[in-house]
Amino acid sequence: MGDGMLQITVIIHTRDSEATLPRLLESVRWAEERIVVDMESRDRTCEIARQSGATVVSTPIAPRVDGIRNNFLELGKHEWVFVLDSDEYLAADAEWVVRDLIEQHGQRFDAFSIPRYNMIAGQIARCRGWYPDQQIRLFRKGCVRWSDTTHKPPVILTSRKRLHVLEPPGCLHIHHENYASVEQFIERQFRYALNDQYPADGFSFERYVAEAFEEFNYRLDEKNDGELSFALATVMAWDRVIRGLIHWERTGRKDSLSRAYSLPVTTLSRYPDCLFPGDVEELRNRVRLLESVPGAKSMARLVKCFRREHRNMKERLKRMRQRFRR
Amino acid sequence: MSHRLCAVIVSRGLDELLRFCLKNFFESASGLSDQVQVIVADNASARPYTASSFPDSRVRLLRFDTQTGFAAACNRAVQECDAEQLLFLNNDVLLDRSTLVRMMEHCDAPGIGVIGSWLYFPDGRVQHRGVVFGSDDIGPYHLDRGGYLEPRCAFQEFQAVTGACLMVERELFSRIGGFDESYSFGLEDIDFCLRVRQSGRRVICVNAGRPLHFESLTPGRVELDVSSRQLFLQRWRGKYSIDG
Repeated sequence: MGDGMLQITVIIHTRDSEATLPRLLESVRWAEERIVVDMESRDRTCEIARQSGATVVSTPIAPRVDGIRNNFLELGKHEWVFVLDSDEYLAADAEWVVRDLIEQHGQRFDAFSIPRYNMIAGQIARCRGWYPDQQIRLFRKGCVRWSDTTHKPPVILTSRKRLHVLEPPGCLHIHHENYASVEQFIERQFRYALNDQYPADGFSFERYVAEAFEEFNYRLDEKNDGELSFALATVMAWDRVIRGLIHWERTGRKDSLSRAYSLPVTTLSRYPDCLFPGDVEELRNRVRLLESVPGAKSMARLVKCFRREHRNMKERLKRMRQRFRR
Repeated sequence: MSHRLCAVIVSRGLDELLRFCLKNFFESASGLSDQVQVIVADNASARPYTASSFPDSRVRLLRFDTQTGFAAACNRAVQECDAEQLLFLNNDVLLDRSTLVRMMEHCDAPGIGVIGSWLYFPDGRVQHRGVVFGSDDIGPYHLDRGGYLEPRCAFQEFQAVTGACLMVERELFSRIGGFDESYSFGLEDIDFCLRVRQSGRRVICVNAGRPLHFESLTPGRVELDVSSRQLFLQRWRGKYSIDG
């Protein structure tokens, strides 16, 4: 299908990527120009890239990957640029699809947002936040710019209207094998948090904690991702709290952390009818206490009473949360 | 490492069925003395197949993000394998233990190009035992489809067999240009068989145990594509024998 190689520049960012790079290079062998931007790899990454006919460019190691993307966007000789990371790859029909996209929409659009499949611990995550995980990676040279951070979408310099968003299913995807295990996921998340930049003012630990709960509920999707969903949601929630603490320290520990505990966290739950483990523990304590007292209320009445109290408590917390939001 | 046989399975969704299909294929292949491999062409499954869903090291995944025609997907998959013989298999075909051995018996026979197999519906009726051609607009159809029949001979020659379970030498496949990608859906297998015969090789259908074919289980699959049929008749009418 198609005639000759596709006139496009593929820019690949690598760092110790010998395990994943061959698959990626193979999946974009149809691109006329392939540039590997290597960040001081200590393995065979550069050798693999050269052997496959790609041009290798070296760059000093940088804590945040997005910012350095900008330095190499102009390197290619072609009008269209496709930026990929070394742990990503494209499907077998990518050549036809990219060719079609540029031919059909290249005049009207400067950039394409492409959904991404994220494989985490051997499973493709389908919950919100992980899928469709739109990425702006295919664009006309000079039309897109990243900010100096990690994993934030770039800015379209021409106009937002010049962005074409591909809607799944049945469209081009980027395939991303993020993390081989939950442990690796935790480690990477930790590194991103430490290497990120935090604003000098506007610190609020309450917000971080609230975001943590929100994040957990946002990511949790047992129906699609099963047990792994709990692990991923927990790490993402935990990531917000850790970031809060890093931010707190970097802004000179001026603000109080304890205020976060005034937060009515349980009412943020999407599962208001769910009894949390702490509540069950309290119920058990009461039962134990009453068992030692003769003539106590019957068990059924006791449970009923607890539930009523519990509901009141939730109402109170809900009001507090509304006040907090205002 | 060069393999003797490579199965190409184009599949969308239906992970569990595909797992059974692979299991039966490998069971059938255990009767062969040579190494086999499988290329699963994931034709835009909403949940892409992952290596962990098919943990056998002989299975290789080839992902298509967009729905790709059977012909294009097969041709692309063939580029990935190095085996002498190719077996195109549908994900809803469950091979019998003896199927592959019986099919492979014929692949070295002189003059034979394509080997198909008798296939049965789950209730025991015949799904495929060879393709015959009717007059006028009837064109190609499956002989005795839906009948309760037993094979009377080891194999029989036809002008075409179904692509649901079709064995061909890799060299011959490449020489005649693979499946024709102008067919949007269906009849690319019949077109292929007729071209094989034009190149001077024969097409046979083998009695190879009792492999099952559920037929058309993939959601969104059309029973018959009108444009493919038009294209086929336009190209081949008058060039095949009326034998059905």
